Amino acid sequence: MMIKRLLTGSTLLILCVLFTHALSAQNKTITGKITDSKDGSPVVGASVQAKGSKKGTSTGADGSFSLSVAPEVTTLVVTSVGFDKQEIDISGKGSIELALVASNSALNEVVVVGYGTARRRDLTGAVASVKAKDFNQGAIASPDQLLQNKVPGLEITVNSGQPGAATTIKIRGNNSIRATNNPLYVIDGVPLDGRTARPSLNLGTNGLGFGTTPESNPLLYINPNDIAQIDILKDASSAAIYGSRGANGVIVITTKKGASGPTRMDVNTNWGITGYMKKYPVLSTSEYRDALKANSLTKYDSGSSVDPLKEIAQHTITQNYNISLSGGSETGKFRASLLASSTPGLLKKSQLDKYLGSFTGSYKFLDKRLSLDFGLITGHTTENLVNVSNTAGSQGNLVSAALNWNPTVPFRDKNGLYLLASNATANPIALSDAFNDVAKVNNFLGNISASFKLLDNLEYKFLYAINHGAGQRLTNIEGFLVGFQGLSGQGYAVISDAAITSQTFTHTLNFRTNLNKDLSFEALGGYEYWKSDYSNSNLAATGFNTNLDQKTRISIPYTSIIQNAKTQFPAVAFVDPTTELQSYFARVNFNYLDKFLLTGTFRADGSSKFGINNRYGYYPSVGAKWTVSNEDFMKSSTLFSNLALRVSYGATGNQEFPPGSSQEQFAFPSYNTVGQTIVQNTSLKWETTKSINIGVDFSLVKGRLFGSVDYYHKNTKDILFQASAIQPAPNSIYFINLPANLINSGVELGLGLNAIQQADFSWDVGFNIAYNKNLLKNFFDINTGLPIVIPTGQINGQGVSGTLGQVITNGYPVNEFYLKKFQGFDQNKGQIIAADPTPAGDPNPHVLAGLSNTLRYKKLNLTVNAGGAFGYMIYNNTATSVTNINSLSSGRNVDKNAIASGEAISNGAAASTRFLEKGDYVKLRNATISYNVGNTGKYLKNLNVYVSGTNLFVITGFSGFDPEVNIDKNNNNYPSRSIEYIPYPTGRIITFGLNFTL
Amino acid sequence: MLPLKKISIYAVPFMVLVSACTKLDEKLGNTLTNAQTVNTLGSAGPGLLLNFAYADIAAPFTAQDQVFSLTENVTDESLVPTRGGDWDDNGVWRVLHNHTWNADHGQLLTVFNNLNKLNYDATVVLGFNPSAQQAAEARFLRALACYYLYDLFNQFSVRDPGDNLLNAPKVKTGTEAITYIMTELAAALPNLAAATATSRPTSASQDACRFLLMKCYLNKGAFLNRATPTFDAADMAQVITLGTTIMGNTKYSYTPNYFDNFSVDNGSKSKEAIFAYANTSGVTVNHAPIEGRWNMTLHYNSYGHTGQSIYGNAGWNGFSTISDFYNSFGAVTPTTYNPIDTQIDRRLGGRYYVGSTDISGIRPGFLVGQQYDEKGVARQDRKGNPLSFTPTIASNMIETGTNLEVTGIRVVKYVPDFSDTSGKYYSGPAGNWLMLFRYPDVVLMVAEAKLRSGTDAVGALTLVNGLRTARGAATVATLPLVNTNNVDDPNTLLAERGRELYWESVRRNDLIRFGVFLKPWGLKPTDDPKNLLFPIPNQALSANPNLKQNPGYN
Repeated sequence: MMIKRLLTGSTLLILCVLFTHALSAQNKTITGKITDSKDGSPVVGASVQAKGSKKGTSTGADGSFSLSVAPEVTTLVVTSVGFDKQEIDISGKGSIELALVASNSALNEVVVVGYGTARRRDLTGAVASVKAKDFNQGAIASPDQLLQNKVPGLEITVNSGQPGAATTIKIRGNNSIRATNNPLYVIDGVPLDGRTARPSLNLGTNGLGFGTTPESNPLLYINPNDIAQIDILKDASSAAIYGSRGANGVIVITTKKGASGPTRMDVNTNWGITGYMKKYPVLSTSEYRDALKANSLTKYDSGSSVDPLKEIAQHTITQNYNISLSGGSETGKFRASLLASSTPGLLKKSQLDKYLGSFTGSYKFLDKRLSLDFGLITGHTTENLVNVSNTAGSQGNLVSAALNWNPTVPFRDKNGLYLLASNATANPIALSDAFNDVAKVNNFLGNISASFKLLDNLEYKFLYAINHGAGQRLTNIEGFLVGFQGLSGQGYAVISDAAITSQTFTHTLNFRTNLNKDLSFEALGGYEYWKSDYSNSNLAATGFNTNLDQKTRISIPYTSIIQNAKTQFPAVAFVDPTTELQSYFARVNFNYLDKFLLTGTFRADGSSKFGINNRYGYYPSVGAKWTVSNEDFMKSSTLFSNLALRVSYGATGNQEFPPGSSQEQFAFPSYNTVGQTIVQNTSLKWETTKSINIGVDFSLVKGRLFGSVDYYHKNTKDILFQASAIQPAPNSIYFINLPANLINSGVELGLGLNAIQQADFSWDVGFNIAYNKNLLKNFFDINTGLPIVIPTGQINGQGVSGTLGQVITNGYPVNEFYLKKFQGFDQNKGQIIAADPTPAGDPNPHVLAGLSNTLRYKKLNLTVNAGGAFGYMIYNNTATSVTNINSLSSGRNVDKNAIASGEAISNGAAASTRFLEKGDYVKLRNATISYNVGNTGKYLKNLNVYVSGTNLFVITGFSGFDPEVNIDKNNNNYPSRSIEYIPYPTGRIITFGLNFTL
Repeated sequence: MLPLKKISIYAVPFMVLVSACTKLDEKLGNTLTNAQTVNTLGSAGPGLLLNFAYADIAAPFTAQDQVFSLTENVTDESLVPTRGGDWDDNGVWRVLHNHTWNADHGQLLTVFNNLNKLNYDATVVLGFNPSAQQAAEARFLRALACYYLYDLFNQFSVRDPGDNLLNAPKVKTGTEAITYIMTELAAALPNLAAATATSRPTSASQDACRFLLMKCYLNKGAFLNRATPTFDAADMAQVITLGTTIMGNTKYSYTPNYFDNFSVDNGSKSKEAIFAYANTSGVTVNHAPIEGRWNMTLHYNSYGHTGQSIYGNAGWNGFSTISDFYNSFGAVTPTTYNPIDTQIDRRLGGRYYVGSTDISGIRPGFLVGQQYDEKGVARQDRKGNPLSFTPTIASNMIETGTNLEVTGIRVVKYVPDFSDTSGKYYSGPAGNWLMLFRYPDVVLMVAEAKLRSGTDAVGALTLVNGLRTARGAATVATLPLVNTNNVDDPNTLLAERGRELYWESVRRNDLIRFGVFLKPWGLKPTDDPKNLLFPIPNQALSANPNLKQNPGYN
């Protein structure tokens, strides 16, 4: 019966085709061009239909189309995603030109939700979407930077100025008291692992004092130019479909796909140069001389004048070349892209090189009942890292050496050799020269999916994806440097590697129907299996024969001759237990006359990480929406073109903690030993976040002012917590579910304004602001009922070893500063510091804001994006222990503020509230001026040239390099927040670029 | 409306795929489950697990911020003054010497956890069918951990093999605690190997066990009443009996050169090692970071020369001793550089030591006054002032003057490992063995027991004079136990213990047993009775409800 029905359908279709072909002899051909009313740019892929018939086409790369229509057709209907539908009269015309107006309320835009898409007007949850045209411009090293300050409640902090550095991403506040609490990334339906295959490295072991090196960004292999849209699922109604992994929010990345039409090639290129955004305020040479004189320390004046911060910087040209090809027909589309880029960082020798390729295709068979989609992303990245570690003690940080270097001492002697050290400070230029750390990572993300329309309203889809990354890192520190324990006269080398493989299998069934003429229904059911493996190893050695004297250096790195080393540290291998997730999920949507919408989701998630009886967690959510403006009584309203009220409630889970924590394990820790390493807890279960979201979407003044307001309250409980083990025990910690509550609540506002909309001139404004409050409640020990106090936030440097500056404790926000109070100076200008530390402030920003402006005058465009964070404190660890006044008495350079304080130069390094500063800042993230040349000559189309500035300036009272800072100062994997310590400085990047289409 | 039948047809392959689901049993990466450890390692298992427990000794007993700190920096033997930008470290060192610590002190927690890790890992061995000797060694190691926990915190817990680690174990304190340790040691003793002329002191021997038992008998009255210790005659008799047995073992004698007990080749040269932890120069496998013992005290410029890569990198310029303790060696004028050794008591050091003085100029022992390099050229500090260590330390232990790099007498007990002439081990893994139990302590304990029991004061004097003679010091005619009015009175048995065992992590225990831990001494003007015990670290207290905070810390 089914087959018969299929056959009937096919026959009809064939008849239709034949029929239209039969009529084609009498047709007339109409050509035209569709442009964007905003800037006259071509609208690619717009659908052009002859009204009253099924005949249609879509526009090509230059916005043009050609369509043959029956003579009786008088009107064409033009639609395109993101634009209002328009009809145009073609009677008596052979060609037309039409400017589409962007749909202001964006109500029709397609939003990617879990395992499907929805129109924005049908959403009941809090989902923010950012499309390619709204992304941050300028220098973008990784996809997350596209979004900075674009979405209310999404906080993205680049942890380091090193190109390719990891970012700290928090959606609606600090949701975890573990180190790993980044959101889940989903790329074209494939959930990622979140870890990177670039090996981590701690250069603070084996007697070396260089500290832990910053992590890299796990999304480096995703080409920012390939991204069409990013959706951020913020509340339970939208994220619960990802169940276990949605608690920290979900970031869904959709890549660009081919459009039907002739093959087009897009070329984007840019070149840029980097400088300091803001320098750290150390004394200039003349100020330093004055300070030496004032303190009778002129013996330290060597008579020269150097600027170390300038010397460690480079201004090498960044280069970006991106080509994409796309094309296809109604039944087969493809897109391919290639990116080659070289991004030298601000500091000498630091560089990120990327070679990325992607190939996606979408093909339809069996009268479009069967769709086959595939995507292939591969990338090779090379990171040249400099030694700017998170936790270096007194030595081994390039920035620290530059800040401390006596500016009267030249870097080289008269023979051109480095003056290797001066007053216990390493020569920053020599340090840069002697340190070589290169990480190469290959990544591969492949996915293939097949959808089959079982019925017109029932579709089955299967997806398989594999993501593999392999990285090798070669680290060489030459032994000619002097004054470094564990290095000088010996040399030090590490070969480390890491591999990560994750696989996804997903099956979904999608069904939609109209239950009656007023009520439609859609349902989704699915099964997913996800598996991930991770391993790493490293081999370190010291005691080489070469490069121990700067006069006789050879170019062979230690890592190529590691067998030459006298001391081979024990090689270390680590293999994570395999993590498996298995999930069943379902979603139903009801829509009553577009007035009332109801979404319910449910997900059952099983994870191998948990105890045998608690492997499954169940995540329900419900969301409802009342579109008030669709009610009859509102139809006459001239004020509101859209007004909708949303409410959602639901649960999401979290299993981001080390695998293996539920099992007793015996490891092979060192030569000839076996020992127990884990305190097993077989009753471990999911951490759950329950959240409520109430929102209003509105669109005023014919859609010229639009936006959303959301209130949320999130309550995380059964917190996966590394508790102090009950001694005697094989480890100092173990994982439990702590029945505490981590509360995040806040309000978000997103606004858009089409301030001016004229033929030659337009001005659009986007503004968002979010307030979040973070609080830890009921944080008591399960055994004793006593409040738990977790000290964390390492304060590093000489003289402050072992100091911790933050606590995670009951009644405070996560990572509350906990410091001794600074009470001023005594009569001898000595610091007075309280005996005991007390709570001292919140490191979590309370208010985040973003503002974007787009101005167009004819073909000239100006885009300005700014953002800021307010209401939080930063601890300046650099001023505490690197540039403190005492350094002057040892002939090192110091902080201007230390001189200005008038304190005694004998004051030692001590951590206190003196170095706690307000973090509030406003940063001009980027400004771009572009000129849309348009088509030139026969082949060159859509030529666009621009100049763009990234990190142009920051307005702040914070005295360090950049108030947007989060150096990882975790203690025993308890995270830290907002501590600055001799960071890689933020670069100001000016790029010049051009885009065109062939 | 809805062709359910059709759906079911199409849903079949879907359901098949769905039902092909996994059990989600976690597969371990490079570790074993308990059962695998039993099955795959077989008879080798207990030995490997025992090795792991032995390796646990390195962490708590070696570095400068572990047991060493809690037993030396709280006494008259050691302190760490803040020197300008160095060694503030949030005041952790000053509060130890000041006796103003609290239960948040980070060193307390790491020591508590590290000792308990040894306690636990030794217990694990017992669950894997060890041989009688392996079981005895594991019980000895566990008793060692418990002894130190008891000494520092007055309470400890022991788990049974296979315990559910999520349950809070019972806590032993008071008589139960000391009885437990002594019963365990007594049970282990017969199954341990006898120490022979060729046996290595790195495994628990019968003598090591006897040594720890002696400590228990000697300190029992002090453990049970730390404010006013009492000494039971039967306990003292036990100390004497056990000590006499050890002294009867011809394996032990006084090492002719005192510093050979602490040198890079002390593993072969020392005749006094009863229990030790082995290191090998340049080998990092299971290495105890012994190099910290000289780094912590030496100045940056203590060895090497301008232009050499090692120069300016010799030490961390921290740990010092107070002049009163230094003077307890018998009012010696500060040593001056002289190739001819003239000092009386060799333990004071200052003598030419081959392997150190010829390479660096460093003369092991107490470093006072001008320091010289190996050629006799005076060394300078980083400011260009003479590197000349002065006895006086600022009263608040915060040095702010121009001499802040040179205040305080330094102590080089472990002789720096200069065995690699290319200089590669100057700061790397050093080969000195860590001395845990040393023969002279046995002699001094026996002498002390004789004095305390009043049975054989003459014998006690003979033993002490025997030791003094071996060290090149003059004999003494009388030997009072302690002068409660002057902790650093040189003419006491306590002072003799200080001279022999300084910076060997016994001082706090000695001062409590001799009843003078709360007395004022250099840079510690006042005290509080609660300080006789350390507080239970807050994190440990909040994990185990059976632990009770020690009096005075709530």
